Amino acid sequence: MSDIVLKGVSKHYGSVRAVDDISFEAAAGSFLVLLGPSGCGKSTALRLIAGLEEPTAGRVLIAGRDVTRDPPSQRHVSMVFQSYALFPHLDVGENIVFGLKVRRVAAAERHRRLERVAELVGLDGLLDRRPAQLSGGQRQRVALARAIIAENAVCLMDEPLSNLDAQLRHEMRVEIRALQQRLGMTVVYVTHDQIEAMSMADRIILLREGRVEQSGEPEALYARPSSAFAARFIGTPPMNILRLAAVDGGAGIRGAANGRLVDGPADALLLGIRPEAIRIVERGGLPAEVVSVDYHGADTVVTTRVGDEPLMLRVSGHFPAGRRGAIRIGWDAAAAHVFDAKTGNRREEFHAFAPPA
Amino acid sequence: MHERRLAHVYGWLLLLPAAVLLVAFTHYPTVATLYDSLFSTATRLRPSTFVGLDNYRALGADPVFWQVVQNNFWFAVGTVPASIALAIAMALWVNGRLPGRALVRMAYFTPTVLPMIAVANIWLFFYTPEIGLLDKLVAAFGGSSHNWLGDPSTVLTCIIAMTIWKEAGFFMIFYLAALQSISPELREAATVEGASRWYYFRRILFPLLMPTTLFVLINALINAFKLVDHLFILTKGGPDNASNLLLYYIYEAAFSFFDTAYAATLTAVLLGFLAVMAVSQFFLFDRRIHYR
Repeated sequence: MSDIVLKGVSKHYGSVRAVDDISFEAAAGSFLVLLGPSGCGKSTALRLIAGLEEPTAGRVLIAGRDVTRDPPSQRHVSMVFQSYALFPHLDVGENIVFGLKVRRVAAAERHRRLERVAELVGLDGLLDRRPAQLSGGQRQRVALARAIIAENAVCLMDEPLSNLDAQLRHEMRVEIRALQQRLGMTVVYVTHDQIEAMSMADRIILLREGRVEQSGEPEALYARPSSAFAARFIGTPPMNILRLAAVDGGAGIRGAANGRLVDGPADALLLGIRPEAIRIVERGGLPAEVVSVDYHGADTVVTTRVGDEPLMLRVSGHFPAGRRGAIRIGWDAAAAHVFDAKTGNRREEFHAFAPPA
Repeated sequence: MHERRLAHVYGWLLLLPAAVLLVAFTHYPTVATLYDSLFSTATRLRPSTFVGLDNYRALGADPVFWQVVQNNFWFAVGTVPASIALAIAMALWVNGRLPGRALVRMAYFTPTVLPMIAVANIWLFFYTPEIGLLDKLVAAFGGSSHNWLGDPSTVLTCIIAMTIWKEAGFFMIFYLAALQSISPELREAATVEGASRWYYFRRILFPLLMPTTLFVLINALINAFKLVDHLFILTKGGPDNASNLLLYYIYEAAFSFFDTAYAATLTAVLLGFLAVMAVSQFFLFDRRIHYR
């Protein structure tokens, strides 16, 4: 059974189509991530589910019930806001039980749930503080606690980690995912950070300009991106997208004197290869010119030039200084993706080849 | 050593202009007033002499003084809560999405911009018997003509109504500024939790507006004891002192009756009154107010 269903939902502001005819489902107890760059409509989609915005067209169903015209209070959802939206004049405990007080839950029950939730998110001992006296991570936990204390089946999160530093973000990713699985919540999580999406999601909906670009499991999005946009949005560094030039029997990389890499028309196609799929070879392969080296510790991102095209590759460990200048690179045919040059869509009917051995 | 002394000199020189103004126009007059209130008024025949607390005793025995104090009390009770409540309501309204919002905001603020004397003249017209706006309205509903400002039982209410009209727009600006600094996500968070608009206002918005309310409250109270200009135009404190307020009474004592010692005594009482009010407000409310 699906907990949340969006059917052909649109939200237009005048001539701006913030969300344009999107449909998706989130299975009960699953972790769904709405991913996309700023302005892609992911936050608007979330607000449509919450009921903070009313759709221009389409229907929203939660737990099988049509809630399209219902106010937020009748949808039985919780929400975590990007700025946390904590009430600054109330202490942590009051912030967490705010919704319970609104719904007139008895004081004893409130107290019982507060203790449980505070322990769950690691806030015990801080309940008397004001939000201003907490660190960013602690505030995040308060917002989280406020969302889960209602014991709603659905929890909506709008970029909840974007105000935290990298270290804390990693910890909170693990914690939120663990909490979701432990409580069996259906979570819809909005982010522009593909690492958050990849590491937390059961399913990712990739949005672009108000439309669904691709949806699926993280592995599927990574392994078989349905467009050049999806290919470049997921993975760091992003996938290399190379322009092609005609060669004998097909197309090769533009400006490079090499053999056939794709068996299709050069000006209608693009070739995509992930930086981590490229390896440095001793002989054969393609000649590449090293332009810059970006050392990350565990690995190194090497930016090269192949013909007219820039190409990044990722090598593990340190890139030996002596090997700067000209190198030779290769990849497997299965690691190459072919996209349409005009629409950006994946073109399965053409085949890619590995560079000559 | 030499340089440090020079720095001191510079410091005091920088302070000097502000200090001179402060002493000349605030501290010296205050002290002088207190001092004068302990002396009798000098006349051509009798020079001023030290009379101790005699002026204060005379004040206590003056029935007009007590009536003025009473008037001022009711004036404050009538204007302060009403103008604050109205200011909040107007600010909430013009803070929302509203066509012609700028125009409405400006309309609310206009009474504050208008000169006091002009305002009083407008309202004088409203209250004029027979031909005034108020009497015309009453007549339209079949009522009879009434001399609003000439009747001791209605005159203070008339002044109160006009003052609320004038103050509310000014206070609205402060509330509007405060409202705009409150994140709209707070309202959304409360909405998702199921809070009604009234609940949100009572539990979230109003407490967050408390610093503004304290500021406005102090200003409103001080203004209630400072009103004088409207009385010149509208009533001159009459009839039978029914609309006489403290500051106007001080003016009368000083410049109509030339009883400067009595005016100084009244002023000292007013000052003490205002000081006690301001201090007690801060002590009463400060602890309970959340400042961000």
